[in-house]
Amino acid sequence: MPYDASSDETDDALLARYATGDAAAARALTARLTPRVYGHAYRLLGDRAEAEDVTQEALLRLWRIAPNWREGEAKVSTWLYRVTANLCTDRVRRKRPSGMEDMPEMADDGPGADSAMQERARADALQSALHDLPDRQRQAVVLRHIEELGTPEIAAIMDIGPRAVESLVARGKRALAEILRGRKDELGYTDD
Amino acid sequence: MTDKRTEDMLDTYFTAARDDAPLPSGDFMARMQAMALAEQPVRQVDTPAPSWWQQILSGIGGWPAIAGLAAATVAGVWIGAVPPEAMSDSVSDLFGVSAGLYDSSGSFADPLSGFDLAFSEG
Repeated sequence: MPYDASSDETDDALLARYATGDAAAARALTARLTPRVYGHAYRLLGDRAEAEDVTQEALLRLWRIAPNWREGEAKVSTWLYRVTANLCTDRVRRKRPSGMEDMPEMADDGPGADSAMQERARADALQSALHDLPDRQRQAVVLRHIEELGTPEIAAIMDIGPRAVESLVARGKRALAEILRGRKDELGYTDD
Repeated sequence: MTDKRTEDMLDTYFTAARDDAPLPSGDFMARMQAMALAEQPVRQVDTPAPSWWQQILSGIGGWPAIAGLAAATVAGVWIGAVPPEAMSDSVSDLFGVSAGLYDSSGSFADPLSGFDLAFSEG
C-alpha cells in the first residue's frame, strides 16, 4: 500500500480537513509527511532514533496548530522543514557529535565491489561528511541537493535571503568536496 | 564556485544519497498515525438551525405545555358556554345578568341582542 493515498490533494487542503476531524485526512497527511520529516531529520542528525523523536515532535506541533492554520499563508512543507531543522539544531547543540565516532563503516571490497554497495558506501560517506559541516551549511546543502528545493523555498525555511542561501550552499559544497576527497582512498573506489 | 569536476563528483554522492533515502519503520508509521488521530479535533456535526415554530415550541416548554394549554382552553370555552350552577348564580349576583347562553328558565339568551339593537338604531 502506498504511503500517500491522497496524492492529488495539497498539504494545505488535507490539513484543513484534518482540523475538521476528518480521519481519512489524518491518515493521508501522516502517510505523506512522516517520511519527509523523518528523512530530513535523519539527514541533519545522522541518527535514526533521534530522527524519530524529532519527527514525532514536529508532527505533534503541526497537529496542534492545525485548527488555527491559515490556508495559503505559509506552505505546510516549508513550516515543517523549518520546525524540523530547529528541533535538530537544538539537539545538535545539546549533544555535539564527535564526528568520526558516528561515521558509518566504509566499504572495503576494493575496486571490484558491485555498484549497489558502492552507491550505499557513497550515501553513507556523504551522510558522514555532512556531519562535519556547520549546521547552517549542512541544512542548506541538504535542502538544495537532497530535498531538491528551490532557492526561494530554502530562503523561507531558513529565514534568510536568496543570496545568503546561495552562499551557504556554495561554501557547504566546497567543504563537502574537500572532506570527501580526503576520505576517497578509504572508500576504495574512484569517482570517475 | 566549485569546478565542473568537483560538481560531478558531488552529484554522484547526492544521487546516491537520494536513492538511499532513509525510510521510517512500519511500527513508527503506525505510532505516528495513532498520534495524529489522537490529537485530531472532534468532528463537528452540522445541525440545521431550528425553525421559528420549533423555537416557539421549545420556548413555551414543548409538547406537554401545548397539551396543558389546549386543555385549559377547552375547559375555559366549556365553562363559558355551560357554566356550572354556582358560577351562574354568582355572576348574576354581581352583574345582574345571567352567565352563559341559557338563562335560569332554561331558554336560550342571546348575549349580543343589545348590540344588535344599538347597531340597528344607528
